Amino acid sequence: MRHESDKQPGRFGPPGDAPRVIDQGSVWIMVAAPTLWAIHFVASYVLAATWCAKAGPALSEPRWIIVAMGVVCIALIAWLGMMAVRRYGGVFVIFEEITESSERGRDKFIGHVSLLLCVLSVMAIVFTTLPGFMFSTC
Amino acid sequence: MRNAVFLISPLLLGGCAGRHNWLAGAGAEAARIEQLFWVLLIGAVVIWCTIIAAAVYANRRQVDPKLERQARWFIIWGGAVIPTFLVSGLLIWGMVILRDITSDSGDITVRVDGERWWWRVIYDGPDGDVVTANEIRLPVGQTALFRLTADDVIHSFWVPALGGKMDMIPGRETTLALTPQKTGSWGGLCAEFCGGAHALMRFDAVVMEPEDFDAWLAAEAAPAQVAEGDPGLAIFLEEGCGACHSIRGTQAAGPVGPDLTHVAARERLGAGIYAMNADNMARWITETHEMKPGIDMPPYPDLDGARLDRLVTFLMSLDHAE
Repeated sequence: MRHESDKQPGRFGPPGDAPRVIDQGSVWIMVAAPTLWAIHFVASYVLAATWCAKAGPALSEPRWIIVAMGVVCIALIAWLGMMAVRRYGGVFVIFEEITESSERGRDKFIGHVSLLLCVLSVMAIVFTTLPGFMFSTC
Repeated sequence: MRNAVFLISPLLLGGCAGRHNWLAGAGAEAARIEQLFWVLLIGAVVIWCTIIAAAVYANRRQVDPKLERQARWFIIWGGAVIPTFLVSGLLIWGMVILRDITSDSGDITVRVDGERWWWRVIYDGPDGDVVTANEIRLPVGQTALFRLTADDVIHSFWVPALGGKMDMIPGRETTLALTPQKTGSWGGLCAEFCGGAHALMRFDAVVMEPEDFDAWLAAEAAPAQVAEGDPGLAIFLEEGCGACHSIRGTQAAGPVGPDLTHVAARERLGAGIYAMNADNMARWITETHEMKPGIDMPPYPDLDGARLDRLVTFLMSLDHAE
């Protein structure tokens, strides 16, 4: 899974072999899950606020949209978690300290942090979605 | 000296008692919030003691690499998994309480409109709206559904002894259901800063036996008992008071200020801040802004002597019919 570009800094491989954003060596996977939560959070608030201002006191339809958006975001985060395990070698619990200065050590650390952020982001999305289940009015 | 201050400090909690005591158990909704409060408080104390005990234990023990793995599991469960479940449980519990107290049903309906800085109160009477102000009377044991609105800025309706507070938002209606469990006069207030006299925007929530409440509502619905040619009413109208205040049964039908039909039947004056008596009423008319700075009502400092006495006598006669 190691890219040519990783071995030779400053050079990309042949067309079709460009480095993927979510792949070994890239740190973007760490911000991806919290970003999905942030998008879901803002979208939920904008949707509920607009709906309440324009459509009235009942919140029955938009709450299902918020739930659907939450399901999509959680599915994407699950995929990110899978990538963190497969491509970065991430695990939930690290029992040995990562002390070696190696690509493998760094990848494992990024995978570990990404996995934890995935869990945190899923919890945050669930917490954002829960009020939609509990309250049917604005 | 320091120890003495420490020992005496719990006495300051006495300031939390009284008419605004949200631990008074005076309302079913307040009792549910209180239950959540005690669980949170006791839970926080237990967790804090456990963590401090663990820290002391860890500090005194020799480092044992064999326990490293156990310690990591302890951190994962104690620092992440269990708190997640606890916070989720508390969130759901709190939301269930909030959902119930914002429900849309009740035995009686009371509309309350927040104004700067007083409360317009409207009951659904058998013969139509019963408008009053700055005092809310409720029957014990019955759920009162409050429909809350605001006329100018955001206010917040709160009777701490009866339950949680609810924002009053211009252009929107919010609801709050309160079920009083104890008779008595409880304090209500605005819990959202709304301008200069915000701290003086108060009201009384008087909880009565249901039959007393019915009698009160019937008396409140009746027009004012004003004798024909009452000189106080004449002064009231000549001074232009009727442009802002209503007194049902008279020509005064101003919609701007508090309805004064039965003003003398209320416990307090000036939106829950002064005792209702003739001296305070006279001062309210002549030194309005000294008593409550910033309000829209202009003072009438030139009104004195016999005219003021007649006006005050008239206003203090606006009680319920015997």
